[in-house]
Amino acid sequence: MGGVGEERRSLPPTSNDPVGLNAYLILAALVFSVGLAGVLTRRNAIGILLGIELMLNAVNINLAAFSRFGGDLTGVVFALFTIAITVAEMGVGLALVIAIFRARRTVEADRLDLLKG
Amino acid sequence: MAAQDLRDALVVLALPFAAFLLLGVVRPLRRRGRLAGIVSIVAVAAALVVAVRLELFGAGSDAVGLWPWLPGDGGPMASVGAVVDVLSRKMLVLVTLVSLLVQIYSLGYLHEESAPGLGRYFAYHALFAFSMLGLVLSPSFLQMFIFWELVGLCSYLLIGYYYDRPSAARAAVKAFWITRLGDLGFVAGIVMLWAATGTFDFAPLFAMAKEGTIPFEGFGLVMFLIYLGAVGKSAQFPLHVWLPDAMEGPTPVSALIHAATMVTAGVFMVTRAYPLFVAAPDVLWLIGTVGAFTALLAATMACVENDIKRVLAYSTVSQLSFMMAAIGSGVPRAGFLHLLTHGLFKALLFLGAGAVIHAVGTNDIFRMGRLFRALPGTGTVFLVGTLALAGIPPLPGFFSKEAILTGVWESGRTGVFAVLALTAFLTAFYMFRVMFVAFFGRAHAPYEHAHDAPPSMAVPLWVLAGLTVLAGLRLAMGGGEEHAPPWLLALSLALAVAGFVLAWAAYQAGVVSASALASTFPLSLVDSLARRRYFLDALYAGLYRGVMLGFSRLIGWIDRYLVDGLLNFLSACTLRGGDLLRGIQSGRAQDYLYGVAFGLLALVVWAQLWLRRP
Amino acid sequence: MTLAVAAFWAVAAVLLASSLAVILTPNLFHSVLFLALALAATACVFLMLESPLLFGVQLLLYGLGAVVFAVFAIMLTERLVGQRITQASRWIVNGLIVGAGVAAAVLGFLAGRPAPPAAAPPADAVAGVARALTGPFALPFELLAVLLVAALLGAVYFARAEE
Repeated sequence: MGGVGEERRSLPPTSNDPVGLNAYLILAALVFSVGLAGVLTRRNAIGILLGIELMLNAVNINLAAFSRFGGDLTGVVFALFTIAITVAEMGVGLALVIAIFRARRTVEADRLDLLKG
Repeated sequence: MAAQDLRDALVVLALPFAAFLLLGVVRPLRRRGRLAGIVSIVAVAAALVVAVRLELFGAGSDAVGLWPWLPGDGGPMASVGAVVDVLSRKMLVLVTLVSLLVQIYSLGYLHEESAPGLGRYFAYHALFAFSMLGLVLSPSFLQMFIFWELVGLCSYLLIGYYYDRPSAARAAVKAFWITRLGDLGFVAGIVMLWAATGTFDFAPLFAMAKEGTIPFEGFGLVMFLIYLGAVGKSAQFPLHVWLPDAMEGPTPVSALIHAATMVTAGVFMVTRAYPLFVAAPDVLWLIGTVGAFTALLAATMACVENDIKRVLAYSTVSQLSFMMAAIGSGVPRAGFLHLLTHGLFKALLFLGAGAVIHAVGTNDIFRMGRLFRALPGTGTVFLVGTLALAGIPPLPGFFSKEAILTGVWESGRTGVFAVLALTAFLTAFYMFRVMFVAFFGRAHAPYEHAHDAPPSMAVPLWVLAGLTVLAGLRLAMGGGEEHAPPWLLALSLALAVAGFVLAWAAYQAGVVSASALASTFPLSLVDSLARRRYFLDALYAGLYRGVMLGFSRLIGWIDRYLVDGLLNFLSACTLRGGDLLRGIQSGRAQDYLYGVAFGLLALVVWAQLWLRRP
Repeated sequence: MTLAVAAFWAVAAVLLASSLAVILTPNLFHSVLFLALALAATACVFLMLESPLLFGVQLLLYGLGAVVFAVFAIMLTERLVGQRITQASRWIVNGLIVGAGVAAAVLGFLAGRPAPPAAAPPADAVAGVARALTGPFALPFELLAVLLVAALLGAVYFARAEE
């Protein structure tokens, strides 16, 4: 493990990096938490989907940040994938909401409790 | 010649068994009813012929055939075979004779039965004949026990022949269980005897008794246990209660099994093993005492019974006890003689009673009356049986009973002698009571359709009556070998006559009022006790209800409240726990997401605390 | 503090504020608009991370596409129910506490851990991504296409009117 540290130290300190990796990670963590709170508290199914968007967004920030600071493009590729999948999820999710709405006349997640034990 | 005897004995044994196999396996034959009866009758008749030839023209010497059965270290552990001696030869004739006559009689008596029922009946009869013959031929305790149980099974099956009648089914079970109680002792005794001596066979055991190896330590207990088997089978006090109830079976069955043959198995066994019982004087004393006591007890019950078959049943108990008392007093020959003669005339009496019941359709003697006019034939043979049982010379009952009394007197057991003498008096009394009430006296109902028995029933009756008279005459001729004191002969006769006179006075002439007699002290006490069967049936019922059912209820309570309670408690815990946990399952997706969030939190905290470590 | 740093914190502030607004505004429609703002701010973050490709994709696909979806959905459901849908919250304190807990835990995870030294940003990013997508990530890329088709069909299936 020490060898890796040695190697990292030998890299050039930074390249026009204004704030550093941790700042992005902190920002992403905060956005993620906000999204999670939204998912947990929203009554409306569409609102829950919006919360999920926020969380995925935070993930994308992380991926992009790791890509930038790791000097590897894989993170960007993954972020692209995530965005595409998220949009697909958004489409299907909203279609589901509409279907549920037709069937139950509500999109309040609290009242969608058919699974109640 | 001895080998020839042995072969004959085995043929006698095999014939009824072949009949039973044929009836048991070939279903169409069994379901033909009368044909099945004829098969069985032919087999038993052939067996009778062979048995008579063996008795009259056999070598006369004892023969024993033994074949190894259970292998063991150093010779067979148990063997099977046959023993031909004076006891078994006479028993073979008696069993086959009574079996044959009863089966012929049954053809007439049960003519209204359905064909399959009749086939079943005769199959049981053939099995019974085989079992009883096997029992008397047994050369060892083990083989005897096997056949002993087989006759018990036949008894159960035949008592319960009318299995759709609840009282018959109950009586069958009662007989089975009570005799099983005695058999428990029997089998325990046999095993203990084997453990001590290493053999089941009679011959080596008798040799040991002769040379003094027996009695060993604890021999008295062993013989007592073996005697218990006889107590159950031969209806000795206190296990005699099953025999009167066994009268629920068809009357021919009562005649064959519960009078002439099976119930004498106990007496026969004690006679057979007499050399061993001699070595245990305490047990012998007990046999005599219990015998005398049961004889008197059963006689008093016979005096107050109104059911003609039950009178005969109590009489059977009483006479069996006579035999037991004789053996217990050291005169097994007299007991065995009484066994033979009793077998003849008690079968006659039962079959006669069956003919009466057949004719009038009731068992109650007080609903009969003046039957002698309607049924002269039946009345005559019944009279012969009554005279024989009451002990009027020259009929055989007189001689065998007198032989017993002589033997008991000479053995010096005065108490037993006195009780037996009193019993002899009572025997005459209750038999003539039946005779006077049922056959003479006043008619209680018109019997237009009462008629004498059909030939198939009448012939066995007349044959038995004739044989009874013949046996009596033969005993009268050869009576010289008994050297009874003259006063004893006179006493026997006097007792019989006194019984007759009292019965005549009370029930025929009306000189003495029977009810007044019964209400004078101390007879009133005996009367009321006897009418209640000395509370023995009630005692057993009470024991059953109190102890057995109480125990069952206790077990039931434990099962219901402790075992089930524990399980119910566990299941209630599970249910309650499930109800509690069920609250978690709200069915709302976001509540589950809280779980995910907490999981994430825990994961991060765990990673913080543990992955940080160097 | 350089201009770049100031810009970052400004964008971060906008992103956080609009995120909070997404989950707190009572009006669902406003929520969607704030989400659009948050997505745009994220696009700016991508730009700062020297990934113009992601910036473009985020703005075009996400910031416009997804938001248009959401607006459609809201308007459709409102039309079906015939009344305005309000965006109420349930147990908002609980949700905020759990969210704050997760944030604190993750931040605690980051705290005291020095950031690894940054590498040089990958050169020629767009061409690199293109090469990666047609090279090592070709199979996932194709699968993604299948997924999109499936999602499209699924969305049509779920949202179609009952016969």
